[in-house]
Amino acid sequence: MIGLDVGSSTAKIVRIEDGEIRYEITGTHKWRDLVEGIEKEDIISTGYFRHSVPHKASVTEITAAMFGAEYYFPEVEVIVDIGGQDTKVIDVKRNNFIINDKCSAGTGAFLEFVANYFKIELNELGSLHERAKRIPHINNTCGVFAVSEMISQLVAGYSQEEVVAGMHYAFARRISFMIPEAGTIVLIGGTVKNKGMVSALQDILKKEILIPEEPQIVNALGALKYYSG
Amino acid sequence: MPKIGITALVPPELIFACGGQPYDVNNVIPASKKYSKNKLCAWTAIWQEMLVKREFGIDSLIVVAGGDCHNALVDGQKAAMSGIPTHFFFYPFDGDHKYMESQLYSLCSFLGDIKYPEKFRQIKELKKAGQLIDKKRINGKISSAETFRILISFSDLWGDPDKFKRAIATVQENDIEINNRIALIGVPPIYHDFHDIAQSLDLQIVFDELPYEFVRHTGTGISEVARDYCDYTFARPLDFRIEFLQKELEKRKVDGVIHYTQFACHHMLEDEILRNRLDYPMLTIQGDLPGKTPEQIKLRLEAFREVLERS
Ligand code: SF4
Repeated sequence: MIGLDVGSSTAKIVRIEDGEIRYEITGTHKWRDLVEGIEKEDIISTGYFRHSVPHKASVTEITAAMFGAEYYFPEVEVIVDIGGQDTKVIDVKRNNFIINDKCSAGTGAFLEFVANYFKIELNELGSLHERAKRIPHINNTCGVFAVSEMISQLVAGYSQEEVVAGMHYAFARRISFMIPEAGTIVLIGGTVKNKGMVSALQDILKKEILIPEEPQIVNALGALKYYSG
Repeated sequence: MPKIGITALVPPELIFACGGQPYDVNNVIPASKKYSKNKLCAWTAIWQEMLVKREFGIDSLIVVAGGDCHNALVDGQKAAMSGIPTHFFFYPFDGDHKYMESQLYSLCSFLGDIKYPEKFRQIKELKKAGQLIDKKRINGKISSAETFRILISFSDLWGDPDKFKRAIATVQENDIEINNRIALIGVPPIYHDFHDIAQSLDLQIVFDELPYEFVRHTGTGISEVARDYCDYTFARPLDFRIEFLQKELEKRKVDGVIHYTQFACHHMLEDEILRNRLDYPMLTIQGDLPGKTPEQIKLRLEAFREVLERS
């Protein structure tokens, strides 16, 4: 049995062999490569394309995230899944699912937009943040407005590292509005690899945030766990 | 017969009795594909714009202001300023039926007084038939989409009680498998396919809070109407509404509650209280513009079903 998560930008497959989690990640358009030679009857699918890929059973990415996060942290109360196109906050205890889907603010697309504009690699944002000495205040999380604010701060004398850190704070503030009071918060999704963003969020929420070893495969693993119990 | 626009629940029996033809300006919105400029809540913004542009062909307008919605109060005044004869109707927050009676009398003079008192009884009978349809839906005999379409139309009875009566009489009965009994509370969704989508995800809506109010209240004359409509839950304090909800949800044996909220609507502020006071798994969703149910809402509905299956 395998868990297959086909989302809007990447596809992930997870299997458990001798108690060890094995996985592969590829671009969404290459999802077929992941399941080559695997029978439909052995696939539990999740993610945006869960209904379109072959599967024995499918489960929403919300439920999959709950099962996946619980595998790593059984005491999880709130899951924050920062994806490329949307950000989901799953209140496990109260069964409330908040999805930020109105605009790119607070999603991976925002970080990508900013990185592109300043010609920085997406995965460099985190390390730039770490080198910041001061953190300028940036109000806007609308991509376009944030960029003009960032430029103003650069003109005002802040370094690129500092302006990136300020942007991460603005981003994290936006997400923090969606997060309810909770003891244990687990962060998943590809954007979690950005350490600057994670430390800004921890600082704003004033609490430790738990991150699974492989935050990107949590949903594929969760789909598998959901089915196999 | 003068066509009388209404913005929310106004006793249609009284409008018919005064020789008017009620027309609920909300009912066309979900399928309208209209977007409005300068908006807070899309419901009021769209009807306001349509009224000002004279797209409804109504002769006068009744705006439900007190005890219901301040967005409607302001957008109703914009319509009035554009030259539509408008009356503002206020429900009592404290349920004072003397006050309600005085509101109904002033509404009567706006409409030109009661000419057809027999209409009260006719509408009362129809509302009984509406309640029966609702009961059949609870027992899986009529689909929730069909029931919703009928209940929601009880605000104006299509302006033609005879035609409406014939339509009700032709409702087909079915055997619907009910796996997840859902109460839909809050204002009605702005999506025209919401009940069908819920059904396709194996969520059967067995209670529509606001549309049920449309068949619950009636009366054979002004004083009975005043007493009965005083209990219109949306106009009353939250405690009153919650107590009513608790009884209704228990009676309908619901498994879960969906709280629909509308962008820029004050009812969103009630979510936390409803969550604390109603002891059921609850999903809160928010809609904004009219049209089909968006994918992200479908995803949440499906995840909610998964929650119910596990509980
Ligand atoms: S949804 Fe809310 S704001 Fe909009 S008309 Fe209804 S009560 Fe008023």
